[in-house]
Amino acid sequence: MKKRSQVIPEMGSRFLAPLGMIIVMGMGGWQAAAQAKPVVLKGGKLLTVSHGTIENGVLIMENGKISAIGPAASVKIGRDARVIDATGMTVYPGFIDSETQLGLTEISAEPMTNDLVELSDEIMPHMHVYDAFHAESELIPVTRLNGITNAIVAPESKDTLPGQDSFIQLDGKSAEEMVLVRDIALPLNFTGKERRNETWEKRKFPQTRMGLAAQLRQSFLDAQDYAQRWADYEKKKAEAANKPNDEKDKKQPPNPPKRDLKLEALLPYLEAKKPIVLAETEPSDLETAVNLAREFKLKFVLNHIHHSQPVLDYVASLKVPVIVGPIYEDPKDYERYDAVYKLPAELYQRGVKIAFASYEAHNARNLPYAAGYATAFGLPYEEALKAVTLNAAEIWGVADKLGSLDVGKTANLAVANGDPLDLKSDVKHVFIAGREIPMTSRQTQLRDEYGHR
Amino acid sequence: MSRFAIRLFAAMALLCLSGRAQQPRGSVQNEIVIKNAIVMTVTRGNIQNGSIYIKNGKIEGVGKTVDAPASATVVDAGGKYLTPGIIDSHSHIALDEDVNEATSPITPQMMMIDAFDYQDKAIYRGLAGGVTTSLLLHGSANMIGGQAVVIKHKYGAGRDAMLFPGAPRSIKFASGENPKRVYGSREQMPSTRMGNFEVQREALVQAQDYMREWDQYNDKLKRGEKDASPPKRDLKMEALADVLRGKLLVQIHCYRADELLTEMEIGKQFGYKVRAFHHALEAYKMADQLAANDVGIATFADWWGYKYEAWDAIPWNAVLSMRKGVRVAIKSDSEDFARRLNQEAAKTIRYGGATEEEALKMITLNAAWIIGVEDRVGSIEVGKDADLVIWDGYPLSSYGVPSKVLIDGDIYFDRTLPGYGMPHYREGE
Repeated sequence: MKKRSQVIPEMGSRFLAPLGMIIVMGMGGWQAAAQAKPVVLKGGKLLTVSHGTIENGVLIMENGKISAIGPAASVKIGRDARVIDATGMTVYPGFIDSETQLGLTEISAEPMTNDLVELSDEIMPHMHVYDAFHAESELIPVTRLNGITNAIVAPESKDTLPGQDSFIQLDGKSAEEMVLVRDIALPLNFTGKERRNETWEKRKFPQTRMGLAAQLRQSFLDAQDYAQRWADYEKKKAEAANKPNDEKDKKQPPNPPKRDLKLEALLPYLEAKKPIVLAETEPSDLETAVNLAREFKLKFVLNHIHHSQPVLDYVASLKVPVIVGPIYEDPKDYERYDAVYKLPAELYQRGVKIAFASYEAHNARNLPYAAGYATAFGLPYEEALKAVTLNAAEIWGVADKLGSLDVGKTANLAVANGDPLDLKSDVKHVFIAGREIPMTSRQTQLRDEYGHR
Repeated sequence: MSRFAIRLFAAMALLCLSGRAQQPRGSVQNEIVIKNAIVMTVTRGNIQNGSIYIKNGKIEGVGKTVDAPASATVVDAGGKYLTPGIIDSHSHIALDEDVNEATSPITPQMMMIDAFDYQDKAIYRGLAGGVTTSLLLHGSANMIGGQAVVIKHKYGAGRDAMLFPGAPRSIKFASGENPKRVYGSREQMPSTRMGNFEVQREALVQAQDYMREWDQYNDKLKRGEKDASPPKRDLKMEALADVLRGKLLVQIHCYRADELLTEMEIGKQFGYKVRAFHHALEAYKMADQLAANDVGIATFADWWGYKYEAWDAIPWNAVLSMRKGVRVAIKSDSEDFARRLNQEAAKTIRYGGATEEEALKMITLNAAWIIGVEDRVGSIEVGKDADLVIWDGYPLSSYGVPSKVLIDGDIYFDRTLPGYGMPHYREGE
């Protein structure tokens, strides 16, 4: 085993080399659209998330980053800066939606506008949402107008392994600018809904949870074998290269194994370099999926777990974050009406790091309200705010750049005329990488076109 | 003491003997005062530190103080908000898989009450969200669907107790993509909007013929023609005849502006009135015509893009239409939204600047008007049913959660109780 674990990184790095290049290319958005001059938000209430609330604060954005933040008296404003009066406003980090289908759908019922999931097989880790991500989607301006600046884009959850997520920024000239991290995580869905058993006549494998689990296990084993074959090849190649010159005639390089993109896609996850997003709703599935993840030493976060209330202590013992929700999921008939609404608070009380997701595209803009509603069922307000900002940034490994109002972080933030988690509040400004986003969308255009007739 | 009350007492005694701690259904505590509430009346503003006197399930007094006998049970609302019960003017809960009789585009003889599953827990979950009345409609597969049932969310009270007494009959019409898709996919008519409206007109013409046959028969009887034989009774035609006679409130699922206009025109041609358009996501494009015809809308706050005819939906639809004089309701059309319609209504404050009262009206009085029960429920006024919600938090916010829900003056949901929080229901009974 030791040998294999040594070999896989070597093997991984070979295939991750081109991938790494892609990631770097995709990182353009981090520094996108340099600001013309510093922008100052003056006089607002700053919800820093990382270091409390600053009443009557000042925040300065320069070159796409936050360059200063503090109480008004303590921050010096340069003469060339553009100053926006934020008196009476609340300034907060752009929200991060930990699962959306943004850019993969336009009109749900129109198949040609959807690239949500490849249903031809259940094991599709080599599907990359960045290949379908539609930067010009009308849904993106609609979403960002509500202060959501970043999101995970995931394929629809109808396959056990539907493909790899991307982490996006909701502004940019192109998909390349907007996709900040390609293949950031791999969803593994184990809810029972991935079974292929719509009708008895059309039944095909895998029709049961046993089938799904066996198929997953076989895929991971195949990927391990695949890694081993490449490792053996690399070893033989090195040996051949190292043979002394007098054995030149025997210095035949071995034939490389055939490349398999599907198995290759699983390798970074088998090496626990990236997280698996383990989705399940009920306790039995949760335990099956966790056992499977442990069997292959996968790094994972949990997703959904709506109906897992009886095993929350077990969930806490796993010491992994949970993407929770949607909290609007209907409870089971045997559950109290607020069983799912209370879940974020229950997890928080057990020390679990949580993040919220809309699991939506058109309605992703309503993410803040889910966080707000969870506070009505016991989640402290600060924690609700974290669950759509800093916690999400930490879970996705981007907390050095996003998730709080701190000097040096990307200037992704929003300004609202009230509590950002409340339905009544109107978002007045949105900044993404320091660029002030025009507060327009297809919807505001229709409003303006017809509203005054 | 009436015989009914005696029976009730006997029933209660039995229940007490059986060790049941909670109050039995059909509470005998028929006089209640709720005090110390911020009463949001919907029609007459808010009353700070207000009280409501409830007698026999009806509101008998509202104000800073109320005249009530000392024997009345007092509920201290602890300074919380109190609103009328929420009314959902478009719901398909408690109908199992029987929402659509999608075997013919014209099925007006379908009675939703025949599918009404009064044990569906969705009724409870709506109740816990503050919903006290719902209009359960046929689906939108058919151009003319079935006849609705109006329920009160008295979960645990039994089927007949849940039916809204004396509520007018409503019938569901549809249009646009859904009928087109359902029948078009079977290569049947309708598969286009032309086909849609044609099958609708065709059916209404048949109903006119049917009415004429009966009129002729009745005339013959009047003239004393004893051998006159009656036409065959046809439930489908009878239902449509009732539409033409104005006996049914016509509730039409319709999205696009042009179709809203066409449906009103067909109504005029055949002499019936459209009560409300449901969804009506493009109402903002022609709202003055809706207002001129006194047609209401039951719409979503911000749902959009789920199909092509929902592509021009904007969250300002409700308020833009309201400002043009349209009676606007926010409805659920989903088991999910039904659990938090207060939040959906609150969105109209943000999108377009509805006032608190206007927003609240969209899930109470205006919804009641669409169902035709506005003289019974939908506001806190003397003489109306005591369907009330006491809220934890401000109801028109992300933080409003029903604390207690009363229907006909009786507490059906109480958040502080364990289990489901229902005084009148226990699992397995």
